[in-house]
Amino acid sequence: MREAATASTIWQKQRGRRLAAIRFRRFTASNLFVLGAVTVVLFIVACAIVPSIIAPYSPTEMLTDSIMQPPSAAHLFGTDYFGRDIFSVVVYGSRDSLFIGFASVIVGGLAGGAIGALSGYAGGWLDAVLMRCNDILMTIPGILLALAIAGALGKSLFNIVLAVAVASIPGYARIMRSQIISIKGRTFIQASQAAGASPLHIFWKHVLPNSLSPLLVMATIGVGTSILTGSGLSFLGLGVLREVPDWGTLLSQGRGYLTVAWWICTFPGVAITLFVLAVNIIGDRLRDQLDPKKSMR
Amino acid sequence: MFIAGRILSSLLVIAGTLVLVFAILYVLPGDPTDTMLDPSVATPEMVANLKHQLGTDQPFYIQFSRYISDMVRGDFGNSLLNSEPVLNKIIDHFPATLALTAVSALVAAVFGLVLGVLSAIHRNGPIDLIARVVGLFGISMPTFWSGILLIVLFSLNLGWFPAMGSGGWKTLVLPALTLGIVGAGFIVRMVRSSMLDIINEHFMLTLRAKGLSERIVMYKHALRNALIPAVTMVGMLIGEMLAGTVVIETVFSRQGIGRIMSDALMAKDLPVVQGVIFFTALIYVIVNLLVDLSYTVIDPRVRRST
Amino acid sequence: MNRNRSRFQSSAAVLLVLALVLSACASNKGENNKSQQAQQSDTPTTAATEVKQGGELTYALATSPDTLDPHRSGLAVAVRVIRTIYDSLVVQLPDNSIKPWLATSWEISEDGLSYTFKLRQDVKFQDGTPFNAEAVKYNFDRILDPATKAANAAALLVPYQSSEVIDEYTVKLNLATPSRAFLGNLSQALLGIVSPTAAKKDGDQFGLNPVGTGPFKFVKWEENAEIQVTRNPDYKWASELVTNTGAPYLDGITFKIVPEEATRIGSVQSGQVLAAETVPPQNIVALKGDSKVQLFEANTVGLPYTLFFNQDHEPWNDVKARQAVQLAVDVDSIVKTLYLGTYDRAWSPLTPGTFGYDPTLENSVKPDLEKAGALLDEIGWVKGADGIREKDGKKLSLHYVDGTPNREKRNDIAVIIQQQLKALGVAVEVEITKDIRTIVYTNGSYDLYGNSQVNSDPNALYSFYHSTDPKALPSLTRLSDPSIDKLLEQGRIETDDTKRADIYKQIQHYIIDQAVILPIYVFPYTVAADKSVKGLVFDSLGYPLFNAVSIGS
Repeated sequence: MREAATASTIWQKQRGRRLAAIRFRRFTASNLFVLGAVTVVLFIVACAIVPSIIAPYSPTEMLTDSIMQPPSAAHLFGTDYFGRDIFSVVVYGSRDSLFIGFASVIVGGLAGGAIGALSGYAGGWLDAVLMRCNDILMTIPGILLALAIAGALGKSLFNIVLAVAVASIPGYARIMRSQIISIKGRTFIQASQAAGASPLHIFWKHVLPNSLSPLLVMATIGVGTSILTGSGLSFLGLGVLREVPDWGTLLSQGRGYLTVAWWICTFPGVAITLFVLAVNIIGDRLRDQLDPKKSMR
Repeated sequence: MFIAGRILSSLLVIAGTLVLVFAILYVLPGDPTDTMLDPSVATPEMVANLKHQLGTDQPFYIQFSRYISDMVRGDFGNSLLNSEPVLNKIIDHFPATLALTAVSALVAAVFGLVLGVLSAIHRNGPIDLIARVVGLFGISMPTFWSGILLIVLFSLNLGWFPAMGSGGWKTLVLPALTLGIVGAGFIVRMVRSSMLDIINEHFMLTLRAKGLSERIVMYKHALRNALIPAVTMVGMLIGEMLAGTVVIETVFSRQGIGRIMSDALMAKDLPVVQGVIFFTALIYVIVNLLVDLSYTVIDPRVRRST
Repeated sequence: MNRNRSRFQSSAAVLLVLALVLSACASNKGENNKSQQAQQSDTPTTAATEVKQGGELTYALATSPDTLDPHRSGLAVAVRVIRTIYDSLVVQLPDNSIKPWLATSWEISEDGLSYTFKLRQDVKFQDGTPFNAEAVKYNFDRILDPATKAANAAALLVPYQSSEVIDEYTVKLNLATPSRAFLGNLSQALLGIVSPTAAKKDGDQFGLNPVGTGPFKFVKWEENAEIQVTRNPDYKWASELVTNTGAPYLDGITFKIVPEEATRIGSVQSGQVLAAETVPPQNIVALKGDSKVQLFEANTVGLPYTLFFNQDHEPWNDVKARQAVQLAVDVDSIVKTLYLGTYDRAWSPLTPGTFGYDPTLENSVKPDLEKAGALLDEIGWVKGADGIREKDGKKLSLHYVDGTPNREKRNDIAVIIQQQLKALGVAVEVEITKDIRTIVYTNGSYDLYGNSQVNSDPNALYSFYHSTDPKALPSLTRLSDPSIDKLLEQGRIETDDTKRADIYKQIQHYIIDQAVILPIYVFPYTVAADKSVKGLVFDSLGYPLFNAVSIGS
């Protein structure tokens, strides 16, 4: 019955898109906000792609004579306990952070989406089995699952991604399944079934394309959630130590200095928060755009 | 029939959880002896002897069947590290976690509902924006960081609340706030959008047309209908919050099952991990069962559709 | 929840003509005698002070103890609590001499294989059980019994074989091989004496209901929250390490478990606890300016934090390659950057407080990148286009393994060394793992691995530098040099202290000259405490002793 909440119909969707297009032209505070969010995400993605252009120092250079310097003109975000320029470290650190965010969403979203689609479309005993398995994964709190997986596989960036991805599978599977079930029941699907189209064809041509939007919204927000889960793992001691650490590791390692040199963990923390915030704002807007009922406002 | 079916499948889920956790722990490298014996002083024989005493040198099926038969007899086993009965551990620690989770859920529900309703009523206005941003901040900050910031501000600098411990309501304030604002973020979003859905629905227009005041329409009808997704959300959030306690209990030095579980996981203290997982799974399943049942109370239409 | 903190209502102050003004001097450590913290108890000031009776000390620990059964514990943090509940047969003073405690005197047989202890006759366990030879025998046999699941205590008790009760208060311990380290080990808290009655009664659960002869009695343990101990009013058998031989001044101690550093230290400053252990260096520096808080420090003894080369792996079996790394790693800079001058740099495989430590090694190694490069050039490792050295098409890499979590900023050391060795042309791959036993000890998959060991005797070197029996696990260094083997074997049994010290000096020189290891820092156990806390001292291993602690106004 939870599925009912996300159910939508095709005609509504199309009408919704038209309305949304009209509304978007209106200049509202909310749009300004989304614009800001897009800018933040674009900037951070740029940091990850071409950090050397943005960062003034090498992220590994340790100026041991000037450790723990507060923010200044020379060091915008100050220096850390190694004497590294925090701004540069944060800029370069976006690489691993975004990698954790995007890669785990891709892995988790694809796996969860596939399980959910299979389960929802096939129905019957397969659905029952898959969903019980999904419930099992869901009852184990995500971070503990990630903790166990990261512990079992050892520390590496890839394993962190895998741990976070597996922990996110049940959520994707659930939302995908409910969407598929609701689309499956639509009259136009029944019509094509009656017309003799093969189930695979119907699935591929009609069901899947119409079921993807909630998954996409969830995946967008999931990029942020994954970064947060990853930083939680760092906090619990399962982070990876790389030459240039990701934001979560920077934040969790710098937190011991909070009362002595607040800038060491504050800026990586702000970077995480800003990015996740921006991704959430974009996700919310996407949801509004894709969900016909909400676009009527 | 519906309820019986749900309970049966819940039991299956719990059983499956136990098998999965056991399997994960079995493949997890390491052994409690890593904690008990310093590898730089212990000889391999000492390690082997200790493993034998603890039974961790047995193959998977023997360990597992032993575990299941104990469980069936109601014996959760003893901690491998200090032999404390796992059930005692859970009974000792669960109240603190329950208190934290309950108060956090309350904080989340209150903040979430208030902000969500405000934001729906003043949609697209400045209040809406502020409410949404506040809600989003909650879900955008790593909890260990927001927790430490709260400690520094309210405990170390202002001295209003204790920074640690698990006795008395005062120790609950900061951790529940940290965890609650995360949940609030999700609820704000949910309440806002479902209220807007309902506001736009035809029957609301009818109600308005009938001359009911805007206020009554909003609070009596819109809010009531918006509660369903919010309650569902709280149900799902209980699971998230139980997981969140793993981090929060460490940050605030609280007792609780989240912390004993992460410690036990690190030390590979298998009976403890199993026992705690069993309990959290049980709670999760029960809460979701209750959530499902609560729909029938909030919304009579659901009764028919099941 | 009904924690009755009576620390502010001081009971009637009792005049005790005891020579003790420790707290003040404890915080301003001298330049050189930092490691000799506890030694201050040997040179008591003669001023008579009024010691305040009563009060409860709240003491924040960094992690949860595993068990309070000394024979089953594997964690240093547990020892801080265990030491308050249990006493040992003997005590080791900071000058490394062994003095009576529960044993009044002892005799060692000519062959070094049997130790006969005369025991104190006025000692009772906290549950009323009399302390006697039978109890001592029970304790050591208990550790040997596999059913006890003894942990590190089992390793400390080696080469103990059996005990004989000679009479009510005389017990003879038989060893398999002579061992000069044995008495020192007996002084450790993990070989503390437990009540036989309680241990038999509670069996497996003894660690949750501990009973010993110590100055404090166990009250309760709320896991992950706190452990309470209360004053043992009958106590009158303290060791020479403390000035108060009678019952403690405090009514009790509540150990709070506070893992988060910022919270732990912050709660001393905000008055939520009276003392907190393991103060991070950056906070030590900050606390020095805090008028409400004082700092206690005690350097630990044994092996400092040391990076061990694995000599099974090419090219680290070549002394020149190791020396190159020794010259390229700027330890001073590491210690200064990370510990901000609060930790001492280590120079030898032993820490300064340990018997036989050779101070002449200090300043014996100076960083010299040029010379380091020349050494590597000499053995054929030349810089390639990317700045990394190569030989026969193979890149020069060093697999650096460290354990998790980032204890004492050890992971940060790896980060710095990675950068320092990059300048030399060595690619350092850092692996941080929880599974040290498998990766390091069983598989030996490391080129450099860091570890430290708190130990009361230089014989600790044996298991790190003696070539090993092919059947046993190899040592961390994989060192195999007959001359060193011989010295280590002699050191183990040599009864003449001067000769013994000389043996260990030779060993230390060899290890540094051959660059077998890189010693990094000596770990000081640090406690931040409210200024009202007086009389905290440390035993020779750096564990706190609360017998003479009082809370002044």
